[in-house]
Amino acid sequence: MSEDPDKVWPTGLNLKEAEEVHSYLIDGTRVFGALALLAHILVAFTTPWLG
Amino acid sequence: MFDYRAFALRNLASIAPRYLPFADVATAEVPLSRLMRLSLFQVTVGMALVLLVGTLNRVMIVELAVPATLVAGMLALPLIFAPLRTLIGFKSDTHRSALGWRRVPYIWKGTMYQFGGFAIMPFALLVLSGYGEAVDAPRWVGLSSAALAFLLVGAGLHIVQTVGLALATDLVKEEDHPKVVGLMYVMLLFGMVVSALIYGALLTNYTPGRLIQVIQGSAVVTVGLNLLALWKQESRNRERAREMEIAPRVYFRDAWSTLIARPGTIQLLLMIGLGTFGFGMADVLLEPYGGQALGFSVAQTTKLTAILAGGTLIGFGIASRALSIGGSPIRLAAFGAIIGIPGFIAVIVSSALIGPSLFVVGTLATGVGAGLFGHGTLTATIRNAPKDQIGLSLGAWGAVQATCAGIGVALAGIVRDVLVGLPAFSGLQTHTPYNVVFTIEIVFLALAIVVAIPLAARFSQTGAGRVASGPQSNPVEAP
Repeated sequence: MSEDPDKVWPTGLNLKEAEEVHSYLIDGTRVFGALALLAHILVAFTTPWLG
Repeated sequence: MFDYRAFALRNLASIAPRYLPFADVATAEVPLSRLMRLSLFQVTVGMALVLLVGTLNRVMIVELAVPATLVAGMLALPLIFAPLRTLIGFKSDTHRSALGWRRVPYIWKGTMYQFGGFAIMPFALLVLSGYGEAVDAPRWVGLSSAALAFLLVGAGLHIVQTVGLALATDLVKEEDHPKVVGLMYVMLLFGMVVSALIYGALLTNYTPGRLIQVIQGSAVVTVGLNLLALWKQESRNRERAREMEIAPRVYFRDAWSTLIARPGTIQLLLMIGLGTFGFGMADVLLEPYGGQALGFSVAQTTKLTAILAGGTLIGFGIASRALSIGGSPIRLAAFGAIIGIPGFIAVIVSSALIGPSLFVVGTLATGVGAGLFGHGTLTATIRNAPKDQIGLSLGAWGAVQATCAGIGVALAGIVRDVLVGLPAFSGLQTHTPYNVVFTIEIVFLALAIVVAIPLAARFSQTGAGRVASGPQSNPVEAP
């Protein structure tokens, strides 16, 4: 089935392509995490829940 | 013995591509259902625009009691990103990707920014207005976080719209471009109207909790609709990925000078700017004009907006039909401006002579004119775009269009307020400041027509045969 040695199981992507798809996921998670942190800080300003 | 591993591998390999976000093959014919799905990104753009310009404008001033100048400043922040649309379009043209993607990564990033802006916006606004314990918070926290939220939403919607339109242009053949432009405009209008109604209904009983729910709900809807719109639209293309890898690096300055060296590009952009400015100034003033000068009730002025939108829809419909049977987009856009002028004259005269019926007719005419103008100029931009600079061309269109519309809306309010405040005008009737603005609009539309006439002549000489000659090459496969 596969003659490309870089091919990643089981999607049929090769290594570079899979890494690119993964990079979108990683970037998304980072942006999401940063925004969630900021949102929590802002909520803490309006309704403090830590002491 | 049964080979589980081989069995699992075979089955997984056969189902997995269905769960990956790219089209399997680059098909020549893109079905309408797929284009409809792609146009959902315009619904989210319309939603964000309505939330910024309409809903939050009111909520911040009335319910949150934020000073009006601060609100105006915050809402103008997304405009900063409008000129950057050119750069975004250019970057998507020259993007390097192992998957052969050019547009999807940018739409995805734009969606993330739009989502992020909405996610922090309600809390930022509550801190800004000093709700709850936030009274004690330092002032800069609310200011900077609200500014960041508006900037993120603005950046996101400009990225999504520019690159999304470029993707739509990539997907369809040249003779179908007018239909796609029409579809994109209709979906933008649809998104704006529907979300305005939904926001209005949801926020009638305002509470801070409801504000958080509504804005964060918009964030989720944005990501959902944009994912649905993107899914399997752009094909994975190893050929193109290899070409991207070896392609020489193009600099923005060079690409830009190539684009504007094309005959007619600068004139077209100038015409778009003048016309959009002319039509854009009316958007915010028609309702108060109807209310103050003609004595319309609130419900009646809301219907005015519906009439304007209805006229715009009629304009899009006429434009789509006329252009797909081979009309000249520039001529059509000029025709839109020509209809707009008597429309505004009717609006001005209505306060002195005939009254509401003439005003409604004038509003409808300006709506039709705006529809024809918007559709014609965007189609002309797409037709005029070189195959490898579609993103850049649409970016330039969007930069000019969004900047001029934004400045038009802002200036309309400022000019009216200044005239109302001038002591020399204090004895005049209520409709005078409005009529000054409407006269400015007529002047700008006339200027747009002046620019359009030589442009239309040029395009009918050089570009008339382009539609008749059929598609040059399949744009999906074009590098």
